[in-house]
Amino acid sequence: MDRTTSASMEMRSEGLGTTPSEHPAFAGRIELPYKLTTGRAASVFLAELASRRIVGSRCPSCARVLVPAQDFCAECGTAAEELVVVASAGSLSGFTETAAGVLGLIRLDGASTDLVHRILDAGLADLQVGQRVAARWAEEAQGSVLDIVGFAADDAPAASEEVRPLSDPSDPVIEQPYRLRLDYQHAYGPYYGRLFDEIATSRRIQGVRCPRCECVLVPPREYCDTCFVRTAEWVDVADTGVIKAFSIIHLEFVGQVREPPYIYAEIVLDGAATRLIHTVGGIEVEEAMERLHPGTAVRAVWKDGEPVGTLEDIVYFEPVFDD
Amino acid sequence: MRDVAIVGTGQTKHARRRTDVSQAGLVREAVDAALEDACLTFADIDSVVVASGPALFGAVNQPEKWLVDALGGHMKPVVRITSGGGTGLAGALAAMNQVSSGFVERVLVVAYDKLSEGALQYQISTLYDPFWGREFAVGIMGFAAAYWRARIDALGHTEEAAALVSVKNHRNAMRNPYAHVKKEVTVEDVLASRPLAWPIKLLDVPPISDGACAVILASEDAVPSITSTPAWIRGMAYYGEADNAANRFMLQSVPLQLAAQRVYKRAGIVNPRRQFDVAELQEPYTNFELSYYEGLGLCRSGEAADLIASGATEMEGDIPCNPSGGCMGANPIGATALIRLAEAALQVTDKAGERQVPGARTALVQAGGGWANLRGVAVVGADRN
Ligand SMILES: [Zn+2]
Ligand SMILES: [Zn+2]
Repeated sequence: MDRTTSASMEMRSEGLGTTPSEHPAFAGRIELPYKLTTGRAASVFLAELASRRIVGSRCPSCARVLVPAQDFCAECGTAAEELVVVASAGSLSGFTETAAGVLGLIRLDGASTDLVHRILDAGLADLQVGQRVAARWAEEAQGSVLDIVGFAADDAPAASEEVRPLSDPSDPVIEQPYRLRLDYQHAYGPYYGRLFDEIATSRRIQGVRCPRCECVLVPPREYCDTCFVRTAEWVDVADTGVIKAFSIIHLEFVGQVREPPYIYAEIVLDGAATRLIHTVGGIEVEEAMERLHPGTAVRAVWKDGEPVGTLEDIVYFEPVFDD
Repeated sequence: MRDVAIVGTGQTKHARRRTDVSQAGLVREAVDAALEDACLTFADIDSVVVASGPALFGAVNQPEKWLVDALGGHMKPVVRITSGGGTGLAGALAAMNQVSSGFVERVLVVAYDKLSEGALQYQISTLYDPFWGREFAVGIMGFAAAYWRARIDALGHTEEAAALVSVKNHRNAMRNPYAHVKKEVTVEDVLASRPLAWPIKLLDVPPISDGACAVILASEDAVPSITSTPAWIRGMAYYGEADNAANRFMLQSVPLQLAAQRVYKRAGIVNPRRQFDVAELQEPYTNFELSYYEGLGLCRSGEAADLIASGATEMEGDIPCNPSGGCMGANPIGATALIRLAEAALQVTDKAGERQVPGARTALVQAGGGWANLRGVAVVGADRN
């Protein structure tokens, strides 16, 4: 057993639990704002829901009626520019129950495709394929597909195949605000686990040495990226190093952690052969433009108080000038 | 292995924001233009390759599924390729291999991004390792600026030299009907523009764009029935390097050099400066174009500033670079590299209109984004190897 493996085994036996699922994970969140463009057909479909009309588009080539209205025919790829109004009732092609309730595939009268939506006031036992259902509308329209609350079996009218041309269309809903929030539990694994444990417990940064090229890799990893051999030995690297490259950030953007201006830097720690991405502080940006260079020595300035075991336990790296 | 040619190209009306089309409508606009250019219909297309940037750009995972309708992909092979800033060329490479291997005769490759939909720098920051560096990432701009600053010291890629790239590409974009940034700038304007990630300033940075590009590739067997003016792909390659490998050399892009060597060997290029009539380079920031001059062998290491200053890469020079205006005219990231390939095809088939380099027969194409670890190169010619 080489030392890498024994290190990870040790970590498991020293109080971090005995199964991988018991190891703490790093909680990462990505939260992104969007303004999505609905496109020609969907923009009218969404707008017309306020008038309690369900809009489809008819393919000029194969005559299928696509619901909700689509710009292009799924079957033949033709641009489906003719917008039509289909019935607000139809029959169930299929259904299932999910955490969000009963969902159905609804073939609206006059449509050639199924619409997915909620089925209201019914359990699976109450439903059968072919059952008639009708749209139930929200009190207030928001320009969203949820302007239809769902479909219910009560009072669903008999089938009618009538498809009407769309007259007096409303102003299209051309943009939809959207937020994507993604929460992750990233497993540290034995290498990141030990690295950040060492930072948290002793403010010590560790890498691994490749037995072939003898380079020390930080962050530590199981294989050397260039030699493709298993790394062998844990080694301490310094919390001092040199700037490999830096830039001065004035740009402001969504999701930014630090307030500009600040200095982005890629640093090679003494003893390591890889880059660490951090910031340089303790120097004004005007002075930094003059005095910092690739090769300028820096040292870590650690945060006061208990370290938590991330790169943010280092506030920044400060330059060390000879004079 | 069969020879492969470009037989049709199409681009959208690129813009900062297109609210008149969804992502599907955007892609279709480029596809319709390419089919029209090649006088083909969906029925003639055997296979579809979609190329686009990270799914977080558009908030739709697996967008190729959503786009099948718009691409006439029903019941055909459809795959999506994504590979950093040079994604569009990586898509073309996958398509080329489908044809050269004999799998299909005609492939539609379409590349796009609709960058106006979201928060670009934050989205790009999510490309970083969540444990190691993401919290300090500035999209890719901080990184790109940092290594430019290092090249200023080591290779003399000065802010003035980069400003000349901005001036040239802005000027060239004036003649490109697909460019949406149409504004001439001076060296003084560039140097005085607002710093974003110094030394990168506002006028070193291309726009953020919505746009798509489509290219149709055909086998040597299929070409004669489609066109008498194909643009032959004489070589294409795409290389990568480990992002945080030991002693990674950042002053020149090694993957770029490897890709160029491989492609030049296949196309018989021994003196790139003399043998190429024109080059289309993907410059995510002005300083990258300087670096590519060296990496592609248009000049020696450390001579890029002299090359741009000499005027050799201007429209009237001996090796015009980016007659289209490059990324400065439009930069829908996933599409950008395919646009470079399409522009090169237009050049060697004498269809580049006002931005035509007279008599161009052999064109160099380079692809890759602000991240320096994925790089592609292609050679396109009026003649076969
Ligand atoms: Zn159809
Ligand atoms: Zn090694």
